[in-house]
Amino acid sequence: MKTNEFGSLIFNPFKRIAGWEAFGIGLVIVVLTTFTGNFAGIYFDGVIDMHFAETFDSLKSWLMIPVNIISISVIMWLAGITVSKNFRFIDILGTMTLSRAPFLLIALASFFVKVPDLSGIMQDPFVIFDSISFIIILIFTFPIIIWSVTLMYNAYKISTGASGQKLNISFIFGLIVAEIITKIIIYQIDKFI
Amino acid sequence: MLPTHCPSCRSQLKVKCMKCEQCETEVTGLYELPVLALLSDADKNFILKFVKYSGSLKAMASDLKLSYPTVRNMLNEIISKIADYENK
Repeated sequence: MKTNEFGSLIFNPFKRIAGWEAFGIGLVIVVLTTFTGNFAGIYFDGVIDMHFAETFDSLKSWLMIPVNIISISVIMWLAGITVSKNFRFIDILGTMTLSRAPFLLIALASFFVKVPDLSGIMQDPFVIFDSISFIIILIFTFPIIIWSVTLMYNAYKISTGASGQKLNISFIFGLIVAEIITKIIIYQIDKFI
Repeated sequence: MLPTHCPSCRSQLKVKCMKCEQCETEVTGLYELPVLALLSDADKNFILKFVKYSGSLKAMASDLKLSYPTVRNMLNEIISKIADYENK
């Protein structure tokens, strides 16, 4: 496989996969991510973030799947409407779901992490240095998030057909709004569980 | 391949002369090139495929092994180019 083909597959698979096909593959990976995260004690509580939990609630972690996917898809669809026309919601839904695939690597890596006692982190932030594996996973998280955001950007670009400044501004705006809405919904879920 | 732009200044060319190979008659004038002739070979091939697939982007996407929105974006780009040529 040529380098540019490999790069295209890794960062922009949506040239070849979109719609229901992307949604199906993406959903399987997201379910695997949550399943693995359940064992590792990690929540994917946001569009682009994840956290280790001291007290883990499996139901909450599963509820985060529809919250994350629906909020990013609906917000990006609404953002897309402002800059483009004649695009399908299923393409946004499918490609945005598949964009979460890199988080599986974090879930798998987290399985081998020894989480330090985070209850006293406010008093002593250096508590995180109690576990080397925890620091490694924190560093590992950054390129994975960048990879996922790059996938989301390409998903939005291909699905809406938008370009130029309109594309960039509406994507950044959509990502921020989706993250805020996701956090609000998860906060509300926390109150009921 | 039909030349559409001046090799010297890149301006759009026009048709000056056409010839009948049967009787050697030549028709001289200054005619606009049709919009389709101005498109690149890749764009022309895309349009031919689009017609052959009865305008089904889904069938085209499947044949080209590309996603539906990618093929739709390719069509949108051609529509945009045609609109530009028509507005010149």
